[in-house]
Amino acid sequence: MGLKQRAFDWLDLRLGVRDILQQNLTHYLLPRNINVWYTLGATLLVLFSLQFITGIFLLVYYIPNTEQAFASVQRIMNDIPYGWLVRFLHATGSNVVILVLFLHMLSTLYMAAYKRPREITWIFGFLIFLVSLAMSLTGYLLPWSQLSYWATTVATESAGATPVIGEAMIHFLRGGPAVGEFTLGRFFALHVMGLPLIFALLAGGHLFCVRRIGVSRPPFGPDYLPEAPGTSFHHTDHSGGIPFFPNYVVKDLMVIAFFLTLLAAGAFFAPQLSLPPEAFEPADPFRTPPGIKPEWYFLAAYQLLRILPNEFLGLVVQGGAVAFLLFLPFIDRGPERRPGRRPLFLGLFIVGLAGFLILTVWGYLS
Amino acid sequence: MTSEPSLTSRRKMLATSVGVIGAALAALTVWPFWRFLNPQAGSAQAQTVTIDRSQIEVGAAHFFEFRGHAAVLVQPAPGQFAAFSAVCTHLGCIVTWRAQEQIFFCPCHAGRFSPDGRVVGGPPPRPLPSYPVTVTGDQIRIG
Amino acid sequence: MSALRLCLSASLLLLLTTQAYGVEGGAQESSSCLSCHGALTGRLGEPVAAWEGSVHAANAIGCHSCHGGDPTIASMEAMSPERGFLGVPAETEIPPFCGKCHAGVEEDYLQSAHGETLGAGGPQCVTCHGNHAVAVTTLDLINPESCSRCHEYGRAEEIKGALAETDRLITELQATTERQHRLGIATDDQRKQIFAVRNDFHRLFHSVDVQQVVARSGEFQQRLQPVAQELQATDEELSQRRLIGAGAVLLLALVTVLLGFLRHTYKKEEQSDPGAGSGPL
Repeated sequence: MGLKQRAFDWLDLRLGVRDILQQNLTHYLLPRNINVWYTLGATLLVLFSLQFITGIFLLVYYIPNTEQAFASVQRIMNDIPYGWLVRFLHATGSNVVILVLFLHMLSTLYMAAYKRPREITWIFGFLIFLVSLAMSLTGYLLPWSQLSYWATTVATESAGATPVIGEAMIHFLRGGPAVGEFTLGRFFALHVMGLPLIFALLAGGHLFCVRRIGVSRPPFGPDYLPEAPGTSFHHTDHSGGIPFFPNYVVKDLMVIAFFLTLLAAGAFFAPQLSLPPEAFEPADPFRTPPGIKPEWYFLAAYQLLRILPNEFLGLVVQGGAVAFLLFLPFIDRGPERRPGRRPLFLGLFIVGLAGFLILTVWGYLS
Repeated sequence: MTSEPSLTSRRKMLATSVGVIGAALAALTVWPFWRFLNPQAGSAQAQTVTIDRSQIEVGAAHFFEFRGHAAVLVQPAPGQFAAFSAVCTHLGCIVTWRAQEQIFFCPCHAGRFSPDGRVVGGPPPRPLPSYPVTVTGDQIRIG
Repeated sequence: MSALRLCLSASLLLLLTTQAYGVEGGAQESSSCLSCHGALTGRLGEPVAAWEGSVHAANAIGCHSCHGGDPTIASMEAMSPERGFLGVPAETEIPPFCGKCHAGVEEDYLQSAHGETLGAGGPQCVTCHGNHAVAVTTLDLINPESCSRCHEYGRAEEIKGALAETDRLITELQATTERQHRLGIATDDQRKQIFAVRNDFHRLFHSVDVQQVVARSGEFQQRLQPVAQELQATDEELSQRRLIGAGAVLLLALVTVLLGFLRHTYKKEEQSDPGAGSGPL
């Protein structure tokens, strides 16, 4: 014990470590009725870190060049020891990340945690969600497979529905008239450098807000009452609550372990779910594979574009939905957070979620 | 406040098991990532190089790449072959072959090795590592 | 027309206008043969539908690959002899027609009893394989109904029997490469080797020489051994991966459950004492 104690005292004397730990762990109190949904933020932090780690490892052998990209991925999969594992973890991990992002966002919506004073936290979070989708989309192209090539062709093509500047937008996104080496270059730069940098800034902002404002109290239970809007800054503390460490950390770790189990199961036993057959054929700009579909999280958007009579209308509806969600805290401003007392919101929530699920399944089946 | 003793011991046991399994998992995870960064570990040891007999005359030397390093094949007498690492054991320069003197000579600090790899002069501390050579017909296999 | 199809055709159009279109692939969208004949009914339209489900269509072998002509021209000019249009081959022209690609098979066929009777009532390629709807050949093509159109089934049955084991092996190995390829294993080498053996093997039975077929069928199994071993080694590696995976998943699941129990001990404490935080770990 002696050495450990002395090292700790040494650090404490210089940096006040004991104080930091107390404030952020044992004396950091959380509401007594806190539930399992509050663990998803920590889970995402771990899952994103894993994406960063596996991504950096893949970068060691990946070659961002249309001539060599596919072969370099083949080499990772076949010649580099455990390369298959690193790639499967990265591919499956991206899907698990998106899944948890959805859950995190849905629970925040349901518990109305985005409301005053947490509007900025929500906006950071929603931007993180959008950046994550962009990271998925750009990462998709890098292996330069048939799937990469045609999924990117279709995705960038949809920008063409914008009136007047449509054609110019496609040209800009692709760096040329068709998906090619310039598209790979810009997508690579975005995927490994640009978007992660933006992501890190947004995640930093999000975490700062969470810690600065304090965790919201779940709007459930007989003694819950909506907070009255304050006129000055006020950190939401939960006196008489449970300490973050060890009580809630254990729950965080449990949910993290659960999703890691899911990730390992997917990477080892069902990598095909993340990598359809076309992912193993080299890109061929002259041959469109039949029935190519976007990833599951884009299926709803894809199906919406298909059922609306006009593609531009589809883009408007999608853009409207994104803008609505982004600015939701400024549209839905009442202090009430209990779902039972917000029938209009609850109705919208259920209809929206059901619509998303139906469109997804429909897009998958059709 | 204090918790009941049974709860505390139960908690301790659970935390210890989680810690042990977690540490084991973390250690196991390091291995694939370590191997990932060492793609040629092991495989290099199995590597052999085959050289055509016509490429090396009696009294001459032939330099080639072997297991990631420079290596050299010599034929001091007709039909007699020997292969060595061409990396000087002193500071790692590549030795040259002096046909007139029939020695390996290191240009960096004038280290000298005999055609069987022994140190015959200069600062090298150890002989040049040798590699097994097998001759089948016109093919000379090293490794 | 669906939005995706629209997108794809639009992007193809884009490709068409921006890049030289010199590759056979993508024939489906660009061929004037298909756009005109597809709209016709009866004898002139039927081949289109038949071809669509064929092994040729699956490998982007279009009309002009066999019939000649120029599918990029959208008028009758596409079918002018100057553009290499061959049209419908006469019966004796069928073996060289198919032999443009299937050269080895043509050679063995022409030397066989079948080939010797070409034009004199003997069978040619289409007699057994059909034409536009041609499918990947299986041994079932040798059957009493088909063979006894011309002669007794006996000898054919003998040949089929001698081929069966090798054919089964080839089919099995091909299926294995497909399965491994689906998991990202590079099986190109093995697939090419199997394909080469399969091709020679198919030549063999076009000789329809019972003795030769019986004598040489085993030779092909020998040639497949190295490939079979490589695929076997990969399968063993794959099952090893599953074993590692099962271990990892089980341990992680165990950690999840243990942490659940650990959390429960705190939960109990929180409920029994609704005033303050918990005690030390």
